[in-house]
Amino acid sequence: MTVYRCEDSLESIFTAIYLSYEEDRNAEDTYLALDEEPMLFAEDVHVQADSARAVKVIRTLERRFGEEDYLKICTALASTDAEKAQAVYRTVVKGLDERCARGHLFDDLTDQYVMQTFSLARKAGRESGYLREFLRFQELENGILYAEIGPKANVLTFLMPHFADRLPIEDFVIHDSTRNIFGIHPKRRQWYLLTGDEGEKPKLRFSEEEMEYQELFRHFCRTISIKARENLKLQRNMLPLRFREYMIEF
Amino acid sequence: MRTEMDDFTGESKKLMKSATFIISGRQDMSLMDKLGILADAAKYDVACTSSGVDRKGTGDSIGNCVAAGICHSFSSDGRCISLLKILLTNHCIYDCKYCQNRCSNDIPRAVFTPEEICTLTMEFYRRNYIEGLFLSSGIIKNPSFTMELILRTVWILRNQYRFNGYIHVKAIPGADPQLIRQTGFLADRMSINLELPTAEGLQNLAPNKNRKTILTPMRQIQNGIQENKNELVLYRNAPKFVAGGQSTQMIIGATPENDYQIINVAESLYQKFSLKRVFYSAFVNVTGDKALPALPGGPPLLREHRLYQADWLLRFYGFRAEELLDEKRPYFNVMLDPKEDWAIRHLEQFPVEINKAPLEMLLRVPGIGVKSARRITAARRCAGLTFGDLKKIGVVLKRAVFFITCSGRMMYPVKLDEDYIVRNLTDKNERIRFGADGMTYRQMSLFDDGNFAGGGFAGGSSAVMPSTQEVLETAVGML
Repeated sequence: MTVYRCEDSLESIFTAIYLSYEEDRNAEDTYLALDEEPMLFAEDVHVQADSARAVKVIRTLERRFGEEDYLKICTALASTDAEKAQAVYRTVVKGLDERCARGHLFDDLTDQYVMQTFSLARKAGRESGYLREFLRFQELENGILYAEIGPKANVLTFLMPHFADRLPIEDFVIHDSTRNIFGIHPKRRQWYLLTGDEGEKPKLRFSEEEMEYQELFRHFCRTISIKARENLKLQRNMLPLRFREYMIEF
Repeated sequence: MRTEMDDFTGESKKLMKSATFIISGRQDMSLMDKLGILADAAKYDVACTSSGVDRKGTGDSIGNCVAAGICHSFSSDGRCISLLKILLTNHCIYDCKYCQNRCSNDIPRAVFTPEEICTLTMEFYRRNYIEGLFLSSGIIKNPSFTMELILRTVWILRNQYRFNGYIHVKAIPGADPQLIRQTGFLADRMSINLELPTAEGLQNLAPNKNRKTILTPMRQIQNGIQENKNELVLYRNAPKFVAGGQSTQMIIGATPENDYQIINVAESLYQKFSLKRVFYSAFVNVTGDKALPALPGGPPLLREHRLYQADWLLRFYGFRAEELLDEKRPYFNVMLDPKEDWAIRHLEQFPVEINKAPLEMLLRVPGIGVKSARRITAARRCAGLTFGDLKKIGVVLKRAVFFITCSGRMMYPVKLDEDYIVRNLTDKNERIRFGADGMTYRQMSLFDDGNFAGGGFAGGSSAVMPSTQEVLETAVGML
């Protein structure tokens, strides 16, 4: 058994997949681990993330499986599951072995690993969808829009393109407080990610109108609800409580 | 030098002034009060979807659109808040008996200026509160005048504020067709409310409206969309006309129509007017008019729910209205959803073999939705499916189990008997309980009966089966 020890990043996991092919490993006898848990009778290989190799893997995945399924793989890798690297590895191996057509990588849901990758992608994708809905920007004194999120999966990379397309003429920052990563979008320029410093959060100063618009929206949300139809359980189903911490209307 | 835009906004201001002049009243109201009054006045319109249009951002304006639509919040009645749903004004010359904005109702009235609407939309949008604007209005002066106010507001929002997000506007029945056409090029979705399912109902409750003035602009928009589609084939960059399609809504429970009539009206709207959506609004008695029914049990929410379920069956599952209901049974079953109800009445078509049945038949099985049906057809090409796989794929087994087989076997010995299935689908306590993995159902066996439990067979399975020796002893009469 060969165990590739990778870090929790796309680059590292894709490099490991590249290595397993380069070293011609038998997939049945190979494991991609994200932790350092020792395994019996296993040969450990510590993976050094290598962007050149990762890019090659990305290109192959896109070419062979199509854009949509490649994105699904990335979404699955954004989740927090410890087995995600292994699930993705085996899904990719199966897809390449069986020469599966573009857009059909996730057809065979009876396969354990395909199903696992599929449900991881579904879960992380759902959370990214939720945040696209429930993320709230607040305007700072200098006109920058600032939003804080606390997602379980690492979905910031999926949120940034959506908001960059939507608000190209705004300076905005999205702060993932679970991982302390900042997504930064300067006006009319390409967005990028930054890892924040350890330590205290800087105090935010909001613009004068900010509170006014928050109050207007709260008033709107209260008024738009129909008393005779009140259904708090349905509201909770549609809008899970954990997101409300970051929403200004609650 | 004055540009075309200056002219347009200048004229709009004049028009708005004349509007505020016509509806004399307090104009010193704060934005907060206005928003309160005009959102409250708009809330009984149920359509609040931002779907149907996929549009990328342009790079120099604010906004894009996502085809699936995005709900940004949920109010305490559980309905989604996707668009800034407001009226331009709640002044109205009409006197529709069900509407809280009717002219004979004594309520505070307000008017938004186009600037106020545009600023609110832009500021809410950039903070990610909303997906766009839903603008409707009470009728001031006459339908064309009102339509022009809406058109100008939307024009300013699109061209001066450079808003590229979703806009849904109401077309005012009876307005100049030219105005409706112009608005259509700025809006993503337009809607004209049918209000009540039948012409008689409309006559009784909305004396100022009639079926013809509602259906004429609906037809006009439908033709406009069709023409625009042909145009887009020729010229890729031609301006889009109502790209998100049109919708309508019906009030349920204010007039005595039955579900069969309503679902038939909806079906013909989908077929003949190519509507994108028909919305159903459970009637809430806000005016207390004596011509309206009193609803002591609250609005008919279950009925509304059943109609929406049936509506989905019409649009995505290939059902026809007359399959779901007929004149002899004009109302939906209270206990079962329309699909279960249909399946129970057509047991001769079940059980369905998951590994062989065509997609159309899979879609008719209760517990299998469009997504899981697609996944089933894709997955069964690679391997035979079992009940465990189905559970993981997303099939609701507690409903589907009565109607399907996997490789010729049912999951559980089920009688294909109407009473038995109905009892199991409806009675919570008698439903087969599934464990987390979906596979811990009880195996039926000859001795698996409550009467035996704890009795003489307590010794386990070895005690249940008589030993060979005992059999022999019995045979020779020793026992």
